[in-house]
Amino acid sequence: MNKNTRNTLIFRFVITLLVILSINFFLPRMMPGDPFSTTSSDVQGEDIVTMTEEQHQYFISYYGMDLPLHEQFIRYLANMAKGDFGQSIYYKIPVTSVILIHLPWTILIVFCATALSTVAGILIGTISARNRKKISDRFMMTGLIAFSEIPSFLLGIILLLIFCVWLRIFPLAGAVTPFAHYNSVLDEAGDIAHHAFLPVLTLSLAQLTGVYLLTRNTLITVSSKDYIRTAYAKGLGEKIVWTRHALRNALLPVVTRTGFMIGLMMGGAVLVETVFSYPGIGLTLRSAVVNRDYALIQGILLIIAVSILLCNLIVDQVYQRLDPRVAD
Amino acid sequence: MGLMLSGYLPIDRPAVSRFLRSVSDRTGNILSRFSTEGRIGLCGIALILMVALFAPVLSAYPPDQISGNSLEPPGQGHLLGTDELGMDIWSQICYGARMSLVIGLSVALIAGIGGGILGILAGYLGGNADQLLMRTVDILMALPSFPLLIVISAFMGPSIVNVILVLVLFSWAKPARIARSQTLAIKRNTYIIAAKNFGGTPYYILSRHILPEVLPILFVLILGITSYAIIAETGLAFLGLGDPTSKSWGMMLYYATSFKSIYFTPFWQWWLIPPLVALVTLVISLAFISRDLEQVLDPRLRRGGGL
Repeated sequence: MNKNTRNTLIFRFVITLLVILSINFFLPRMMPGDPFSTTSSDVQGEDIVTMTEEQHQYFISYYGMDLPLHEQFIRYLANMAKGDFGQSIYYKIPVTSVILIHLPWTILIVFCATALSTVAGILIGTISARNRKKISDRFMMTGLIAFSEIPSFLLGIILLLIFCVWLRIFPLAGAVTPFAHYNSVLDEAGDIAHHAFLPVLTLSLAQLTGVYLLTRNTLITVSSKDYIRTAYAKGLGEKIVWTRHALRNALLPVVTRTGFMIGLMMGGAVLVETVFSYPGIGLTLRSAVVNRDYALIQGILLIIAVSILLCNLIVDQVYQRLDPRVAD
Repeated sequence: MGLMLSGYLPIDRPAVSRFLRSVSDRTGNILSRFSTEGRIGLCGIALILMVALFAPVLSAYPPDQISGNSLEPPGQGHLLGTDELGMDIWSQICYGARMSLVIGLSVALIAGIGGGILGILAGYLGGNADQLLMRTVDILMALPSFPLLIVISAFMGPSIVNVILVLVLFSWAKPARIARSQTLAIKRNTYIIAAKNFGGTPYYILSRHILPEVLPILFVLILGITSYAIIAETGLAFLGLGDPTSKSWGMMLYYATSFKSIYFTPFWQWWLIPPLVALVTLVISLAFISRDLEQVLDPRLRRGGGL
């Protein structure tokens, strides 16, 4: 990758970030209603405790909402740069702390799911490519493709119904058993894994087919290359040719895909977390939208967007290291 | 769909039959190139289309009126039982099919055709218009669509038109980009240059040479967007951001899953499963068809044979 392309990449990164920042800032402000109409009434919308005009004004100026929009925007950008996302209006603690409480859960399931689907996808893809043109490959492909078309949250509901409602093997909600006392760290890890299992499975099943198809197709393309024939001609065994020569080259696009996948999963996690009531950032985003918690929505969107953009940037760098052909 | 089925009708009048035979030869040709999965997909879609079209005939009760007791199990009177308000679930499924298809198809048509036209024009005209469009497309494609979808539809308020608009906003980029690259590739062909030299107007060249080449690919993309839009609408509805006045399958899922402790009662069996099955059928059918169409319409994929 020469300097020019790298500059374009970074330039695009900055522009996209700016677009997200502006959407992030202006959109919630255009939403109907204001946050204090929710805080001043109870959840059901009945028994409204009305604030006096004075209290209302106080809150508006307390949160800096009486300033002109552009001043708010500049203040917002400055605060973002400092890592200060403002106060959550609903939770009444800094947005950063709300995010920090919930983000680890999302990261946990997204990373486990990425690892699981990548490893499983490469494995099945290789098996499938080696058995190409056999009936087993055809079945595998049709099955997995049909599977991948089911959106992750529908898959989540299906898994939830089977494993939590019908078989009762896994818990219905949450990330840990409430009020549990653990005798050891191992116990606690077990409990967390028990709760995270289905969300992780759902997310990785939804991504599995992408990795599988990519591995299979690039393997098939690679296997007709000259250097594979050379490898066979040198007298190398089947196993070595497949792992050292074919798979190593076929894995390059999979690396790109993995970075891309993390981004997709962050989006998908919002729905999957809702299905399993998993207390990650997605579930928080949903409740923030319901409660019109501007600052929290902004913060979460920004975190999701930046992590997706960063993943793409990192993938480009890693790819460059792995494949010297791209270097210049 | 009608054309594809017409191949099986016995017709005896010569002119009509000649016409139909040519049509059915073509469609039959395409149909015979469909794989088994593709045919299953066609059947699935046909079934859902039927249900959507004949919803008033198929359902005994209006979907939005209380027609029975709360949470009746399936049985006489109510084919699939009732929901917590006593509304018939089978009618909701029938009318929900309309909702999902209308949303999916309108998003796909607007985004596919609009994006396609923009892409073709950008590719054909080049220059600043092209640059502007491509930069916009780049940014749109880099944005995390689903989180933004959630926020935008939350702010625009729940109505079908808004849901459609938001989904169009996020799905026109792909057809635009592909139509542009196709146009660029076609534009370089010598026959286009020849046509220009013979005095072909841009309109003539676009409609006669470029559009017919781009259209099949756009068609496949439109199928894909339909599926995307239906899923996205379901997702939004599932989060409670759908139009509460019109029950789509996603809204049914939302109401069922937000019913407190539904998983501890038998209600999910007839309240949650029907929309789930309907959605899965629809989405898988669309996927099978678009996969096959891709291979039928795109000779490069066929020749490659890798897939």
